[in-house]
Amino acid sequence: MRLFYSLACFWVLMTAAAFTAAAQGKSIQSFSNEELAFFATEVRPILDKNCSLCHDAGKHTSGFSIESRESILAGGNRGPAAVPGSPQQSRLIQAVRFEGELKMPPTGRLAESEIAVLERWVALGLPSPSPGSGAKLFAAGNTTHWSFQPIRRLLEPKVKNTAWVRNPIDRFVLARLEKEGFEPSPEAARSRLIRRLSLDLVGLLPSPAEIREFLSDQRVDAYGRLVDRLLSSPHYGERWGRHWLDQARYADSDGYNIDGAREIWMFRDWVINALNRDLPFDQFVIEQVGGDLLPNPTTDQRVATGFHRNTLLNLEGGIDFEQYRAEAVADRVDTTGAVFLGLTLGCARCHDHKFDPISQREFYQLYAFFNNVDELAGDQGEEGRLSAHKPILEFGTADALARREAFRAQLEALRREFQEFQTGTEATLLRDPGKLKPEVLEALRTPPPKRHEFHRIIISSFLKETDIGFRQRSAGLEAFAKQEPKVPSTLVMRELATPRETFVQIGGDFLRKGVAVSPSVPAVLPSLETTDTPTRLDLARWLVDRHNPLTARVTVNRVWQRYFGKGLVATDNDFGTQGSPPTHPELLDWLANEFIEGGWSQKKLHRLIVTSATYRQDSRFRPELAAADPENHWVGRQQRLRLEAEIIRDAALTASGLLNPKIGGPSVFPPQPEGASKLGQIQREWIANSGPERYRRGIYTYFWRASPHPGLMVFDAPDSTTACTRRNRSNTPLQALTLLNDHGYNEFARGLAQRILREPAASEFERVGLAFRLSLSRTPRPEEASRIEMLLSQQMTSFQRSPAEAVRVIGPDVPEGVDIVRWAAWTSAARALLNLDEFVTRE
Amino acid sequence: MDPVQRKLLESTRRHFFGQCAVGLGQMALASLLRDGDAHASETVQPVNPLAPRAAHFGAKAKSVIYLFMAGGPSQLDLFEHKPKLAELSGKPIPESFLKGKRFAFMDSFSRDVPKLLGSRRRFQRHGQSGRYVSECLPHLGHVVDDLAFVSSLHTDNFNHAPAKIFLNTGSTRFGRPSMGAWVTYGIGSESRDLPGFVVLQSGPRGPRGGALNWGSGFLPTAHQGVPFQSGGDPILNLASPSGFNAERQQQVLQTVRDLNQTHLKEMGDPEIATRIASYEMAYRMQTSGPELIDFSKESKATLELYGAEPGARSFANNCLLARRLVERGVRFVQLYHTDWDQHGGPETNLNESLDQICHQIDRPCAALIQDLKQRGLLDQTLVIWGGEFGRTPMGEQRETLGRNHHIDAFTMWFAGAGIKPGQTVGTTDELGFSSIENKVHVHDVQATVLHLLGLDHTQLTFKFQGRDFRLTDVGGEVIKKLLA
Repeated sequence: MRLFYSLACFWVLMTAAAFTAAAQGKSIQSFSNEELAFFATEVRPILDKNCSLCHDAGKHTSGFSIESRESILAGGNRGPAAVPGSPQQSRLIQAVRFEGELKMPPTGRLAESEIAVLERWVALGLPSPSPGSGAKLFAAGNTTHWSFQPIRRLLEPKVKNTAWVRNPIDRFVLARLEKEGFEPSPEAARSRLIRRLSLDLVGLLPSPAEIREFLSDQRVDAYGRLVDRLLSSPHYGERWGRHWLDQARYADSDGYNIDGAREIWMFRDWVINALNRDLPFDQFVIEQVGGDLLPNPTTDQRVATGFHRNTLLNLEGGIDFEQYRAEAVADRVDTTGAVFLGLTLGCARCHDHKFDPISQREFYQLYAFFNNVDELAGDQGEEGRLSAHKPILEFGTADALARREAFRAQLEALRREFQEFQTGTEATLLRDPGKLKPEVLEALRTPPPKRHEFHRIIISSFLKETDIGFRQRSAGLEAFAKQEPKVPSTLVMRELATPRETFVQIGGDFLRKGVAVSPSVPAVLPSLETTDTPTRLDLARWLVDRHNPLTARVTVNRVWQRYFGKGLVATDNDFGTQGSPPTHPELLDWLANEFIEGGWSQKKLHRLIVTSATYRQDSRFRPELAAADPENHWVGRQQRLRLEAEIIRDAALTASGLLNPKIGGPSVFPPQPEGASKLGQIQREWIANSGPERYRRGIYTYFWRASPHPGLMVFDAPDSTTACTRRNRSNTPLQALTLLNDHGYNEFARGLAQRILREPAASEFERVGLAFRLSLSRTPRPEEASRIEMLLSQQMTSFQRSPAEAVRVIGPDVPEGVDIVRWAAWTSAARALLNLDEFVTRE
Repeated sequence: MDPVQRKLLESTRRHFFGQCAVGLGQMALASLLRDGDAHASETVQPVNPLAPRAAHFGAKAKSVIYLFMAGGPSQLDLFEHKPKLAELSGKPIPESFLKGKRFAFMDSFSRDVPKLLGSRRRFQRHGQSGRYVSECLPHLGHVVDDLAFVSSLHTDNFNHAPAKIFLNTGSTRFGRPSMGAWVTYGIGSESRDLPGFVVLQSGPRGPRGGALNWGSGFLPTAHQGVPFQSGGDPILNLASPSGFNAERQQQVLQTVRDLNQTHLKEMGDPEIATRIASYEMAYRMQTSGPELIDFSKESKATLELYGAEPGARSFANNCLLARRLVERGVRFVQLYHTDWDQHGGPETNLNESLDQICHQIDRPCAALIQDLKQRGLLDQTLVIWGGEFGRTPMGEQRETLGRNHHIDAFTMWFAGAGIKPGQTVGTTDELGFSSIENKVHVHDVQATVLHLLGLDHTQLTFKFQGRDFRLTDVGGEVIKKLLA
């Protein structure tokens, strides 16, 4: 994000007077988290906005600087600026109140509320991190922040209720709960546990047979066996792959206004497969960030580099490709920050980071790692459009590639022929220039190599309008070009032979070059040890180096977030000074260590978390606990989490029995409401699949960035323009309309009804039980069963009165001997179940 | 309802829960579904988070229609007549304007000292107030006496998405609640059948920043803006599936509600209550939606006034729809129209691109004012027009005319409830570079909008991550001069 801080307000606190050594007032103390949060969120912005221009570390106007707590206490030429605990006696407060001769800031009095914040800050004793240390309060100085410190190896804390503890995670969680005087929640019912685990680990509902098996499994390790079975399912890679794809901003189109199709689904499949074979996370990162630079990279490793090719591509007419390449490269830096380091690096694109120790120069040092990709750039001019997606990796047979080469040669010949025709036509026109509009004339008189995009547009639209021969030839050529034989391909990274030079971009403007920089990493983090100029591969290795304090913490925190709805650090993509401090700092470090020591195995990490007693708690609200800990920071219960967009679809597909479990391959087109593709600049046709592809999991739905499938967006799927590390979970009437009325969901309801009717059940009551097991993974309570039976009888009566309506529900293709009224009535019951809050929630 | 109880139930979810366990059942909620359903009276009713609520003090406005001109319209080619700028056109900007200031946005001016660009547009005085409006907006000129301009606005951020988010949420950080969300959180909505906060879009693409512009941030999700599709069916999936008449659809919905309530009792999660409320709203939208978008009962004169055509995807249709929405009690309607980002270049210039977009909005804006007035709705509706920032007095060096983003001086206009019409608040220097008198900050606009709705911007707060947040962050003062 580019932030611009208004510089309208500067202030000078001290003008002349003898310097007096500061009386420190209170003795050194430490401050509570609340006080530190108050400082970070309320005080610091006021100081930064109003004082820092004249009184920051680099500019001690009148001898005064706000760079540290100590420098504020010491004051400037007029003497000490603040007396801890005594706002009345503090020169700083007198100045902002305009009480004496010194009135600050000089541009005008602060708002009363701002003055009140400063008074409170002084009254509290000027809370700030590490008092007494001279630690910097702003940007470049604050290297003492917790997340930049090495990951600690910690002993597990002692707890009283040792019987509850299943693994060390529980000790950390329980220690906090015991300190606060609360018990953890009891373990959830087994039926809830199998549904929770299935949704969390594979994103599908358990089948009635799987539920039966687990409920009757009396072995002590029944739970662990279930976890192992799910982790070895190939659907695990789809479930956790989708989380990763959010961060990789994966989509099937280029974005921006044109939003053309691109082919990069092989990257998606690479992610799924890598997770399924539990490729260690360090290797997982190395291959995606620098796989192409590994010695003799495999095809797979090159496909992995699609990670940083998921950037947007602007192919609008008349643009400067260089500008959008610069955007893409900056996005790679931002993504690296958010996904691996948990840092808001993007803030340093236009100026030094305002809060974290990241300078603008360091932003461009990181930029330099991503700046050498042989991709569409300004120096290629309009010709670049012909291979706009390069570099790509192609997977055609020799035969197919040869066929395509032949086609291209033919196309090239036709293009030349067309060009000659156009040259001739233009020459004819120029013989009678008086008849031409000035802009057409100007465009025609510009020699072809010097023509700008708008010249070309002017000429071709003029010729298409006035010359039928030109129009026909041009249309013919376009139609022919579209017939090029396709071979499967995927976008990858490839370095230029001669690296581009990288400069600081002044104000984040790609046109304004500052000093040249070479690739390097921010100084606040461990340095990157190489002998030569470091490469993207070196960066990749550095990201997952065990001395990097951030990547492991950020990664385990994000995994925790998926299981509990919120990370131990709530701001999962901001571990900087503006982020939230961890609720369980020791647990975070313990998990990070465990992750590294466990060979970066993601499956081990999952197993560790989901087998903890903490995870296995019930998700029921507890009034007394909720009153003390409304946000559930202490994890005294599990969290009910509304399912992600794709998983709601997948759950409905499993319940209905319609799921096509195929893994991987090109993206697919399930039905979507009329008009949904008409919102982008380019209006797309969406032709829904009719065969088995119609019932693929949500992860495979074709994603047009400019007009994504509304069934995904209504449930908060990310827009895939930038890395998304945490989705929203909204709850809206539009979601209700989707589940109630969408064509796709009604198809699933019909399927579920049919499945229920097909079962050889003895009674309607047993069918209701089956319906609950299929959709909610549990048996109904009597009042729930009778409520569904009531609906069934209402709908039976209604459809019996007008069987034609039942036909409209089911559709014309009804197998012989099927009671269509009953099917329609059961479809209503299935609709009710698929619309329940419980159905769309992991409990 | 007892205000304390309401606050407990709605201001935070934890308190909501506290009530849930003991006595939600005591609180009846008007529910369409309840009608004719004996079962409902025995069950727990969730609180409707959008029920109308008392404001802090007497409100001037009942509804807001916010015409958001996305991209940053050029105030210097529309509203701010600057003969001196025209005189100096082509000359480098005098150093005195830049001296002592640092403006990061100037970085994007390439190569040399930026040159001033006088407007090529003719300006004319209009109405009794004699307000200058350029030739780009002839229809708006006719209603100029109903409008109050603020010429001295300034904002904090010069990039589109952050600046839009700033105007809408008071913060450049993504994920804070938007103005419409704060408003429905504060006073609910009069409409039982439609969302309290509706978003309409027109123009070639959606606004940058997307759904974050109408998000609910940390407020309950029921307060987020609901985007309607322009043209065709306003809301996807509004119609029941085939074979489900109203009776059958209702039976399904009643079952869903009853089972959700059973589950709410078991789990105690207020999110289930929100889901129940969402379904009730969805059903009511189903019944009232088709009537809402049916323009057939509008007179030919009204359609012509706006330039609306049934079924079209246009700003004109959205303006008419906005009137119909506030007529039906919707609290906050925000219309986005793109794209005003006229830097120069094909489709983004101050030549024909500006003509085109002005043509799209001129008549409908004027029509909206006239129509609301005729119907007696202008007295209770606040109409706002403006973009996320303005454009520089300097031109950009591109093929066609264009101006860069400018955050130090730009113009918005306001009309209707509580506004003193026929005036201009604030002055800028003779080049239109800086506001020199009665400077108005974006937070002041937000404070004023809340004020007109009867809300004190310093009191409308929500505790999140340990502090009370508000729309105006730590700033904002009501623009007293603007008020009637």
